Amino acid sequence: MNDLSQASLNAFQLLISGNTDIWEIISLSFSVSFSAILIATPFALIIAFCLAFFQFKLRRACIALFNTFMSVPAVIIGLTLYLLLSRSGPLGDLRLLFTHKAMIIGQILLCFPLLVAMAHATFQAADRRAWETAITLGAKPWRAFFTLVYEVRFGLIAAIVAGFGRVIAEIGCSMMVGGNILHSTRNIPTAIALETSKGEFAQGIALGIVLLVLSLSLNAGVSVFQGKGELQQ
Amino acid sequence: MTDLIDLNNIHLTLADKAVLNIKSISIPAHQCTLITGRNGSGKTTLFKVISGLLKPNRATIEYQGLTLPWKKAKPILQKDFIYLHQNPYLFDDTVLNNIAYGLYRAGESKAVAHQKVMQALDWANLSHLAHRSAKQLSGGEKQRVALTRARILSPRLLLLDEPTASMDTDAKQQTSELLQRLKSEGVSILICSHETHTIDHIADHFLHLENGELTPASSSKRTSNVTVLNPSKKSI
Ligand SMILES: Nc1ncnc2c1ncn2[C@@H]1O[C@H](COP(=O)(O)OP(=O)(O)OP(=O)(O)O)[C@@H](O)[C@H]1O
Ligand SMILES: [Mg+2]
Repeated sequence: MNDLSQASLNAFQLLISGNTDIWEIISLSFSVSFSAILIATPFALIIAFCLAFFQFKLRRACIALFNTFMSVPAVIIGLTLYLLLSRSGPLGDLRLLFTHKAMIIGQILLCFPLLVAMAHATFQAADRRAWETAITLGAKPWRAFFTLVYEVRFGLIAAIVAGFGRVIAEIGCSMMVGGNILHSTRNIPTAIALETSKGEFAQGIALGIVLLVLSLSLNAGVSVFQGKGELQQ
Repeated sequence: MTDLIDLNNIHLTLADKAVLNIKSISIPAHQCTLITGRNGSGKTTLFKVISGLLKPNRATIEYQGLTLPWKKAKPILQKDFIYLHQNPYLFDDTVLNNIAYGLYRAGESKAVAHQKVMQALDWANLSHLAHRSAKQLSGGEKQRVALTRARILSPRLLLLDEPTASMDTDAKQQTSELLQRLKSEGVSILICSHETHTIDHIADHFLHLENGELTPASSSKRTSNVTVLNPSKKSI
């Protein structure tokens, strides 16, 4: 117990003193996860919109597919990507394994189905009149799409935050395709796993605090934001 | 009397049910046509087809000397006609920006758009609402804002879906005055409704829709008087 409180104290000291290793790990985590979300979101929104607003063959199958893929474990995505990117794999020539980029690709794959599914639910619940009104007032389809995105922004932001929450905290995929290399591909979850296994609790706890505070504040933020959306109805 | 647009052989099936089956419908220019029909007769569906928002299985359009299949005519219909929902949708923004929406889409600058919006609001006696959040307006106010938002774009045809449903007498009166003024400005108007008495005096032509088929209205020009004298006709 004494050890633990000592470690927690050390953890706070590490964070406050601006320990470069720790802050490097934190910033890497953020840059990877932000990049993944930033790249995945536009495509996910367009697909979700098409699934909600247009009738076409295989529409139902597509929706079911994305809902199913949402539950694929991170480590399976990591394994698949590892096999694809490894030297002898079909994409081995790209030399992406154990790089920043590989981690971003992994996280994109991880959050994409979740983004599509949640954004689809949001567009599905959106008012069809919003789209029709934009079109009849002379908006081109692209413009009408952005108008609709703005109208349902609360739901979409909740989807994006949920996607970010999933990738910032996942460990399986980052570990497999990133390799947990210090100063290169070590992010918060892989660092926590490593430090804890080495018995270096202070660093593990410090990073754990950052992750926890982040998750809690994101969720709180979404609740407040969604509440605001409801009040306006 | 010239026709603004003629639509022929409109067929539309939704969920295996024939919703529209119309041989021919002509909408006269610069006049007001009232389409009556009971709930579910296909009024809303027909309006969406005419305004280019809903794809029919089949339909040919005669418009501005051209005869086109609906699919080819769609962009023209969307551009020239404006459809107003039964409960109009206002964007989550100020009344001013709602009315300016179409002007922005047409490439107007912000300054010019705002000036036009202010004039339009003045026209509709709605100036006091300019900076209000559109989502907070009452149903009647929303209807009149939506009407102003449509008028400012000078559409060739305005399609109004039950413009006075769920309005009190005052709001009905105000809306009907706005419609009267639109008509006198030369805008072609198509209205549908299942209650005729508030709009009767604006309409020049009457059509009746039954189970997706157009039947000739009892007379081409009915007056409010006739409706009152003959109550049985009122319950269409
Ligand atoms: N998306 C849809 N799928 C299946 N059927 C539909 C769909 N939209 C409308 N319908 C059917 O088409 C018919 C006509 O509907 P429509 O909304 O055009 O009627 P309406 O005359 O506008 O009725 P109301 O006076 O109640 O507004 C109805 O029987 C309705 O159930
Ligand atoms: Mg209707």
